[in-house]
Amino acid sequence: MRTSDSFPGVRWVGESGAFIQVDTEKCTGCGRCLMVCLAGCFEVIEKKARVRSLEWCMECSACWYICPENAVDFSWPRGGTGFHTRFG
Amino acid sequence: MNDTIQSSYDVVVVGAGFGGTAAAHYTARHGLSTLVIERAENIGEKIISGLTIPIYGFLFGPGFIRDGAPPVERPVDGIINYIVIDIDRGDIAIDDTLRVPKPLAPIFAFGYNAYCADFCQWQADEAARVGATIISGMVVSDLIIEDGVVRGVVLEDGRTITAKIVINAEGSQGLLSVKAGIRKKYPPRVISLADTYDYAMDKQDVDRIFGHSIRFLWGWDEQDLAPPLGYGNGLMVWPYGKSLHFMQDQCLAKDDGTVQNLKKRFETYHENVTGKLLWWKDDVEDKTELRAHTWQCFEIFVGLDDELREMPLFTGGMLIIGDAAGLESTELCDGVPSAWFSADIAGRVATEAIEAGDVSGEFLSRYDREIRNHPIIAWSITAPHRYLLRHAQESHDEKLLKKYVHNGWGFEALAHTVVPLTLVFLRVLRQDPRIMTSWVRMYFRYYRHWHHTFSADSSNPGKSLRDHEDQTIGEYIFSFLMWWTDLLLFVFWPFLWLMSYLLVPLVHLTKWTAGFFVWLYEPLWVRLLKWLDAKAVGLTDALTRFAANANPDIFSAKKRREP
Repeated sequence: MRTSDSFPGVRWVGESGAFIQVDTEKCTGCGRCLMVCLAGCFEVIEKKARVRSLEWCMECSACWYICPENAVDFSWPRGGTGFHTRFG
Repeated sequence: MNDTIQSSYDVVVVGAGFGGTAAAHYTARHGLSTLVIERAENIGEKIISGLTIPIYGFLFGPGFIRDGAPPVERPVDGIINYIVIDIDRGDIAIDDTLRVPKPLAPIFAFGYNAYCADFCQWQADEAARVGATIISGMVVSDLIIEDGVVRGVVLEDGRTITAKIVINAEGSQGLLSVKAGIRKKYPPRVISLADTYDYAMDKQDVDRIFGHSIRFLWGWDEQDLAPPLGYGNGLMVWPYGKSLHFMQDQCLAKDDGTVQNLKKRFETYHENVTGKLLWWKDDVEDKTELRAHTWQCFEIFVGLDDELREMPLFTGGMLIIGDAAGLESTELCDGVPSAWFSADIAGRVATEAIEAGDVSGEFLSRYDREIRNHPIIAWSITAPHRYLLRHAQESHDEKLLKKYVHNGWGFEALAHTVVPLTLVFLRVLRQDPRIMTSWVRMYFRYYRHWHHTFSADSSNPGKSLRDHEDQTIGEYIFSFLMWWTDLLLFVFWPFLWLMSYLLVPLVHLTKWTAGFFVWLYEPLWVRLLKWLDAKAVGLTDALTRFAANANPDIFSAKKRREP
């Protein structure tokens, strides 16, 4: 279980795996996924977005919605893993 | 709750949120073997929302919620809108015309604030009590589709579970429906990202500063206090039991596709609000401690887009409910009442389909028709006032800004809601008019439960605090009134049944007259509110003391046949 000083009240359970992936063939490097991600999960290197870390991902799926090229593949993390909160 | 699961059920429900657990309650109560599959480790812990569940959800939604005692954080009796013209000059207009008058408030609430995890866990427990099996910590990764009909689900570990009907309550993303090609991914302009903060605060401070009113903040974009009027949503503060819930949310993209750095935007709004807004800075800040910061996307403007709204809510073998069906309300940003209504309808249609041995798309299309013809759902997903705020911003017209706020979250909102609410009221009246006494008992029971949950003696909210068992005069009068009202409603049931049909054209006419005559009756309403604020203090105290201290048995729901 992980917690973050930046995002109190949330615990991240277990290993979720790569539940968000960027298809570099489709990605144009526009950076919209970076703009809407509040957890800092993405980075753009050499005009291609990639997942930097899903450590503090809140599974909001903003990256999936915003990508105009459908290059972000979003699925739910493994059952029982990922973010959990009692204060939602 | 992780019972051993079978390989086949009558009904499999995907998602144990507000809608999924309510649908499961319906089908399990009607004797269908029902499995609910939830991806979170614990029920409700992946749901994020600032949450006032509007009262119409409780009045017209699932009977087990109305007749139970769910964990609510605070009854809400109104909205205070702060319309910020110039924060630095302190030029802030207030519109608090939408509220329940004393002495009805706060018992006869306008809605109830709640934490999703506690509430959904309570619903799941109730569903399990009537026979539903609920498993958590498991993702449904795919649907089993044969000849265009959904026949079950595939779990993440590869196991398959067959079902006569799948009720899809997976939440706003709707990944399973998108993957199966039944619905499309929503465009970012209709998706709002809700940035939510939860602050611990002493109950006495919440009571004194906020009471039972939620606070909304609206202001020009250049003030950077709240998400932009043009394509954002708003900023809201909810008083909970011993905490404040604070949410700012804005759409991921403008209509023209422009995307902003949302992390920076939200930080700016939050800093400006907490630093510049006097009631926060002076009264609230030093009494609160941040205990949670979370966010989530939700599908706010789906209903305003003709093409998105027309996407199917069913396919052969599957019904889609709640947020997964795009039923989020556009104004209060609340999806719970529509999730409950659609859960009840889906539960009933699934039961009928299984009894008829026909789960084809043709049979299940009746669900789609019922949802689209539900007056409250149809109104709540198409109400335009939040969306229209952009016109006020474009013209920078102060009068227009106040008008739209007043239309959506002030007194005039009543003129827009009176038709759908009355139409549904007439429908339930036909089924059993004694539901009205169930509502009165619900209000008192909820208030009593809330009061004792957060009072010094919170050990047993169902226990009477009195040290004697004799019935007080207040309890006697309450029981007497309920008994006589029930009797009269029963006797006049045929008359009320007839009236419920005859009044429908008149209610439709109200759509025009209520808005037209608002200039006439609103000033009277505002004067009445002020008069009652001054004159009804004693009566309000007496009523809340009665609700808090009476024997809980008199507020218990009467056992009646559920439709």
